[in-house]
Amino acid sequence: MEDFWVFALWALKTWLCLLIGLIMVPAMFGFSLGISEAYMNILVKTLEWATLNIQKVTDERTLKPSASNGLIQREDGSMEKELEELRSSRPKPLVGGDFALSDCFYFTRKGIESIVEDEVTQRFTSEELVSWNLLTRTNNDFQYISLKLTLVYGIGIFVRYCILAPLRITLAFIGLSWLVIGTSAVGLLPNWRMKFWLSEWVHVMCYRICARGLSATIRYHDRENKPQKGGICVANHTSPIDIVILCNDGCYAMVGQVHGGLIGVLQRAMVRSCPHVWFERAEMKDRHLVTKRLTDHVNDKEKLPILIFPEGTCVNNTSVMMFKKGSFEIGATIYPVAIKYDPNVGDAFWNSSKHSMVNYLLRMMTSWALVCNVWYLPVMHQQEGEDAVQFANRVKSAIARRGGLVDLQWDGGLKRSQPKVWFKEEQQKQYSSMVVGDDSSSHSD
Amino acid sequence: MGALQSSPGQPEYVDLKEKTGFSFSQIRVLHKRFKLLSHNGETLKRDHFNSIPDLACNPIRSQIIEAFFDRRNFRQNGEGPVDEIHFEEFLMVMSHFKAPSPRMIEERESVRREKLRFIFNMHDTDNDGTITLEEYRHVIDELLSLSEALEKDTAKSIADAAMLEVASTSMGHMEPDEFYEGITFEHFLKLLKGFEIELKMNVHFSMMDTPTFCK
Repeated sequence: MEDFWVFALWALKTWLCLLIGLIMVPAMFGFSLGISEAYMNILVKTLEWATLNIQKVTDERTLKPSASNGLIQREDGSMEKELEELRSSRPKPLVGGDFALSDCFYFTRKGIESIVEDEVTQRFTSEELVSWNLLTRTNNDFQYISLKLTLVYGIGIFVRYCILAPLRITLAFIGLSWLVIGTSAVGLLPNWRMKFWLSEWVHVMCYRICARGLSATIRYHDRENKPQKGGICVANHTSPIDIVILCNDGCYAMVGQVHGGLIGVLQRAMVRSCPHVWFERAEMKDRHLVTKRLTDHVNDKEKLPILIFPEGTCVNNTSVMMFKKGSFEIGATIYPVAIKYDPNVGDAFWNSSKHSMVNYLLRMMTSWALVCNVWYLPVMHQQEGEDAVQFANRVKSAIARRGGLVDLQWDGGLKRSQPKVWFKEEQQKQYSSMVVGDDSSSHSD
Repeated sequence: MGALQSSPGQPEYVDLKEKTGFSFSQIRVLHKRFKLLSHNGETLKRDHFNSIPDLACNPIRSQIIEAFFDRRNFRQNGEGPVDEIHFEEFLMVMSHFKAPSPRMIEERESVRREKLRFIFNMHDTDNDGTITLEEYRHVIDELLSLSEALEKDTAKSIADAAMLEVASTSMGHMEPDEFYEGITFEHFLKLLKGFEIELKMNVHFSMMDTPTFCK
């Protein structure tokens, strides 16, 4: 019995040493031993092999249409054109009111089309994959294909849950505790130049460890456009992991609400070493206060660039939703960043209504890996005669274009709330002007 | 309907395929949509439709939503409204909007009747078999805006004029004191005789087993 415990202790010690030597030290100093790359290569080859296998067996040369094609082919005409068409096929010429029963058809059809498929609600669930990636969670329509595939799938489960997950959880734990300890330690130093350099180093190191903890492969593009001090960095939001992704390559000041519990501990620790902007819950309601604090932070050229996600909520990384104008009213330099995850390898979207934070993190740790691309866009300023909303839309379009995402005008808040009544009035107004406008012209004849 | 496994050939899907004419892949996609709208519940309520922003833009949204909860559209010869629907009923209502496959003339005629019946039911809210002036006026009210540019009377006069036209079409010449109760389904059919509604009132579903009937 005692031998068992001795052995277990020895195994634990070796495990930790290996971890520190092979993963943490490279992470701390920013070089790589090539283990992750090797893993990714094997993974990509396995997934390609799986796709080929599935294609061979199911005989479906045409795979499922991607989310952008959708279920319905819609008519391209405008309201006026279609209503004209409908009315012109009436056998009798119109007399009296220009209202035709047939006009209902158009609206009914549009209504049914939007019930079957609409641009917005599909953005709040995970992206559909074209081909299965050997994870249980994405197994929607795929049935038994072959023994080999099932075997690989089984091995995959074992590898992910018994080898990778404990490894990743350990790393995450080490990373976060090191963040707390490191930042608190740096916070004790007086304000030398060294302090800033050390604080940055500690932050980046911890985020690197966390990124290794998710087997994240991040590719940064256009690094010459990286956000500088005294500016605001805006990015599209898919999950809390976005922060880890961006902070791997630089230091940012975070903005957010003060939480209790574990996150509160992290927040307080981080603030000790370099200034972040944390708000109390009551303060968040006061827009002027928020704007003032952000402006103060930005105007101090020594402080790190602020990281803001203007969408306000997590979206599923196929589109970019409306940017809230608050951060664009400050008049600071905006550094847009586009983040795009590769859904084949691991789905990063946090569906907060479906999974809690802990559940979500566990799912992340049991995926294959995380692959994402980060594009730093050129800096943008608010132009003459452009108001905050237009500026926000301009930045949003630039981000959507770069990341290959759909640019939507809808508000991400629709995830939780229902659309407002005035939307209906827009269409009503357009239709009435058609009916009444025609009416007055026929009366004048 | 229990936990439907989404692989083709499932008995529930076979049943639905026969009843509604959708293909397996279409049923699968629509079922996913149903689950999304109902937040993974078994039934869909009126409230769930309110979360679709595109639908919020539609002036006759409430009529369209009511149509989903109207037993007359479930092809089971029932009547009256229900409070919640299962996937089967959802699919039944959707099937009214399928394009007809290129088949014989008699099929087309019955498809036509069916689609027109759907629209008729949408207007005839009190379920008495006729569209009265009140019901007609109600639809026009919904379609037209409540902005100041439009006086209240305009909507009323448009409705009256349209009803008059309908009356003269279906009943020929009317005595001044004759009262026109409303549009019956037969009148409705006569009114819209020229329309090729089986072509115009379709939602073009892709991924069909049978070739699409193009306009």
